[in-house]
Amino acid sequence: PKALLFHLNAECNTTRARAGIMKLPHYDVKTPVFMPVGTQGTMKGLLPDQLESLDCEIILGNTYHLGNRPGTEVLRKAGGLHNFMGWNRALLTDSGGFQMVSLLKLAEITEEGVKFRSPYDDSEIMLTPEKSIEIQNCIGADIIMQLDDVVQTTFQDYDRIKEATERTSRWLDRCLSAHNRPLEQSIFPIVQGLLDKELREKSARDHLTKDVNGFAIGGLSGGEAKDDFWPMVRLGTGILDKNKPRYLMGVGLAIDLVVCVALGIDMFDCVFPTRTARFGCALVPKGQLNLKQKQYQTDLNPIDENCPCSTCKTYTRAYLHSIVTVETVACHLISIHNIAYQMQLMRSMRENIENQTFPQFVQEFVNAYYPDANYPDWVINSLSSVGINIVKP
Amino acid sequence: MRFTIKQATSGSERIGTFTGFIKSPGAVIETPTSALFTQGGSVTHITSEVLSKIFTTPKLLWVPLSNSYQLETGLKAQGQGIAKFAGLSGHVTSITPHSASEVTPVGHFEHGKVPLWTKNGKKMITADSYMDLMEVFQPDIILAIADSRTSLGEGYKRILKSVDRTCGFLEKCVDRYKGSKTLQTSSLIGVIVAAGVPSKCDECITHILKYKDSLGGVALAGLTDGTEESLKLVNDKIEGIFARVNTKLPKNLLRIVEGCWNPAVVLSAIENGFDVFDGSYPLKLSNVGHALALNFDLNQNDSEPCILDLNDERYKEDFRPVLAGCECLACKKHTRAYIRHLLNTREMLSSVLLSIHNLHHFDQFFKHARHHIASNTFKLYKQHITKQYEAYKQPLTNGVNEHKGKTALPQVTKKLKVSDEEMHCS
Ligand SMILES: [Zn+2]
Ligand SMILES: [Zn+2]
Repeated sequence: PKALLFHLNAECNTTRARAGIMKLPHYDVKTPVFMPVGTQGTMKGLLPDQLESLDCEIILGNTYHLGNRPGTEVLRKAGGLHNFMGWNRALLTDSGGFQMVSLLKLAEITEEGVKFRSPYDDSEIMLTPEKSIEIQNCIGADIIMQLDDVVQTTFQDYDRIKEATERTSRWLDRCLSAHNRPLEQSIFPIVQGLLDKELREKSARDHLTKDVNGFAIGGLSGGEAKDDFWPMVRLGTGILDKNKPRYLMGVGLAIDLVVCVALGIDMFDCVFPTRTARFGCALVPKGQLNLKQKQYQTDLNPIDENCPCSTCKTYTRAYLHSIVTVETVACHLISIHNIAYQMQLMRSMRENIENQTFPQFVQEFVNAYYPDANYPDWVINSLSSVGINIVKP
Repeated sequence: MRFTIKQATSGSERIGTFTGFIKSPGAVIETPTSALFTQGGSVTHITSEVLSKIFTTPKLLWVPLSNSYQLETGLKAQGQGIAKFAGLSGHVTSITPHSASEVTPVGHFEHGKVPLWTKNGKKMITADSYMDLMEVFQPDIILAIADSRTSLGEGYKRILKSVDRTCGFLEKCVDRYKGSKTLQTSSLIGVIVAAGVPSKCDECITHILKYKDSLGGVALAGLTDGTEESLKLVNDKIEGIFARVNTKLPKNLLRIVEGCWNPAVVLSAIENGFDVFDGSYPLKLSNVGHALALNFDLNQNDSEPCILDLNDERYKEDFRPVLAGCECLACKKHTRAYIRHLLNTREMLSSVLLSIHNLHHFDQFFKHARHHIASNTFKLYKQHITKQYEAYKQPLTNGVNEHKGKTALPQVTKKLKVSDEEMHCS
């Protein structure tokens, strides 16, 4: 048995979009897929049962947080994160590197690993590639990530970017040889190189030579211009093995999902849908509704009348308006809707790819998303690079 | 609304049913019972979807106006009442001005008005404005507005005022009630104050009973102003107060007690013929990370405490459910260790899972009480439960007091936590 079997059901005749099934030890995941982020072994107040009814097939956990609390001892005794949190479907964990570099100002990166001070007891900790895999082996997610050398996306120093990209390849080897559960967990390498074409190409080609079940594209969605972002995604999907899943890290805005599926990405994760829910923001086809706004005080419509989620079936915008940011229930209700929205969007894309109607779907999506027909250049350019020429209605 | 006493024992405890609600005709609420405490119209921490996983039959909802006042505009626009607006159609709603377990600032009183502490600050409410709001909220049960934010330690002058004001309010409320078609689809409840001063309390009860024919029942309030000190004051005297009030009330009236009472106090109230409680107790436990774990089996003396503090390090690797054999959703799927982790990381699911368990278990506590009343074994049940609660309250031999004394209901909800990692996405 393999820890991951990827089967493509359909490829779009126009774009690079594909629809498939990723068979993982805990669940068969339909791709393209959006993976909601459940940082600490829970999804923002939602029960595992609710996530299942929302059709979530795979969710994310964060190695850095889980390694600290509850810690590997507890997770090992519990029999892994699946058991610990009562989630029977697929899980993916990140390597912990990103969190450390972005959260901890004192992180110092050397060839050995990432050195930082614990925010809990101030002790000095070294996260090496081996350590990251050891923790992830313990957590037991179906897909785990290599530790990569993370440089801020907008960083300019070429030598440092080059060093980080090459180190990421060296660390991949160390991760792969430290991996103790290759029959139950797949390590994904992370394509780095920030916005440098040659470094990215080299990174992707290096990773291609390894015996792995899928790939991730990292180091993007960190504040760079959209015009810089999409060519890097396109470059990656152009090189990476067509028969293995490709995961674009940290991307989850609806328009980004549609464009990047067209560019050939299969997996996404982002905290945005659940994070924004907390502030009363609901996702809808034309973007977002901020339910805190006074205009919703007497609005008796659901968030989205076409949405089949339990929130839209039961609650009005007016009621949500009166409890957002005050009651935890509001946060749960909008999170439910926002996850339902993401899931529905991915489902539509899969169906349209399978029916060879993906280009029409993209056109309709873009029309609804930009009701004033002000399409950004990057959307027009990225889509035209894979054969969809957006026309104004 | 119709309240029927099904069976009474040689004592005063009784089982009954609430039926005939005009807005939720099919609902049957068995008493003694606890309502489900709501905030902003929703059962605290629990969406309507999750509520339907905890309870499959209609429940009584306790809706303090102080935390749901901000719903008024939306309710007016919708025009179908609080249950429907809050996504809880089919459930029975009961509105009271305040939550008796919430500590509020000492407010200035004006003639004919009481302060209502809402999310948007203080509002001065008159009997008229209260009944106006009731026409909008359209609950099944309305507790008349009262000046009941008093403790047993209150000065005599304050108590005099409280009785005066409360009697005046009731007169107006009854007037409005009789004159409004909309309001008559609800039941009006008279509120007893001054519980600590027998003569004034009697005066209040006599006054209420003048309106008996217009009232669906009475509620005992004015026992606590929500502070810890006032709760301590009550605990010694409360049984006596229940017993006294019991003798002053006609048997057939529905009786409600407001406040955050532990299982032992609840059982003394039931013993004295009280039927309905406000549901703030299980919420209080959930909000501080405690799980109620009463042993209902009279033949078994359990050594585990009847309340677990799941914040405790000792549960870190405890992979048992909160309570063995509990049929709730949380116990069937999750462990003490997991809930402890959620508390430790301040994740919202901790409150959801604890609420699921505590609401289910508190409901079972009343179910067993009804069963024991029916089989004339209520005294034994009361002893069995009270013993567990007393044991829990006792300091442990090593000098550590397990009971942390967090008696007041924490204000609103814990601050929604925004995890620090969440800058991950553009
Ligand atoms: Zn929805
Ligand atoms: Zn339980």
